[in-house]
Amino acid sequence: MRENGGAASGPRASHPSLAVALAPIAAAIFIFGAVYGTVSAPEMGAPMTFLASALVFSGALQFTIAGLLLAGAGPAALLAAAVTLNVRHVLLGAVLRPRIKAPAPARAGAAWFLLDETVGLALTHEGDAARTLWRAGPVCYVAWLAGTAAGLAGGSVDVLQSAAVAVFPVLFIGLAALSCRNRSGAVRAVAAAAVTAAVALAWPDARALAPVFAAIAVALPGGDS
Amino acid sequence: MLLLAVAGITYASRAVSLVFMPSPPPRLERFLNRIPAPLFASLAAISLIEEPRHLAPPEVLLAAAGALIMSPRRSLLAALVGGLAGYALGEILL
Repeated sequence: MRENGGAASGPRASHPSLAVALAPIAAAIFIFGAVYGTVSAPEMGAPMTFLASALVFSGALQFTIAGLLLAGAGPAALLAAAVTLNVRHVLLGAVLRPRIKAPAPARAGAAWFLLDETVGLALTHEGDAARTLWRAGPVCYVAWLAGTAAGLAGGSVDVLQSAAVAVFPVLFIGLAALSCRNRSGAVRAVAAAAVTAAVALAWPDARALAPVFAAIAVALPGGDS
Repeated sequence: MLLLAVAGITYASRAVSLVFMPSPPPRLERFLNRIPAPLFASLAAISLIEEPRHLAPPEVLLAAAGALIMSPRRSLLAALVGGLAGYALGEILL
């Protein structure tokens, strides 16, 4: 099946400005941060919770670590979680690499802002992807830190916590839709989701790596040469 | 110390491809271009399955359905609005 990623039919043709696209993302990240601050503080303490947000800047990983700490996991389990959950960053970085012409130091700085959300924006906006990371990333970082601080200061956020569980799939569905270039991409996305769900249900221990391997598996069949 | 190790692993995972990978040849680039949508869809799927083998609560599934309905618009804002509507519907009905 042919991939049609031309400018006229591609995802970049009809997308809103970066600021407009970024606003709902920043709001969602703020909510995640608030929930993280609330959930993590009892286990890690307020200073370490905020420091984790400042140094790690990865919601999925930080929530996982908070859960592992709550379950009494040791350092080896935490490091293993960090490795497995971060594998997707390697893949997303590789996806963006051809769209970046900036020199290595600028790429190293932009890497700090490589998130699922900023990658989605970089894939759908014109110009050097590193520039999009540099423009969108700081907004996401501030939203994450502000959310964490609000969660630490605000005590219980049960309503937000319940809604935040729903925001994860919604955000990823939105990013998948943004990234779809054509019918082939949509078919691959549905197939990858089905494979991932099947793997997660059949082998729960493999669930952390299932999305990466499913995405690679469905992307392999070519036909676009 | 553990926190620094986790932060180091996370940054390294973000930087390794961006900094050290050369710009890929066209064939590899075409393959890489096919990855984001399936990867994000897979991450959506995994977030709908709770450990060990349970589906997410019904209102979360409805939120995902709302986002899916809006997905042809290819807008994050539309997906969030659809998700919010689905979630609200679930809260009202369930």
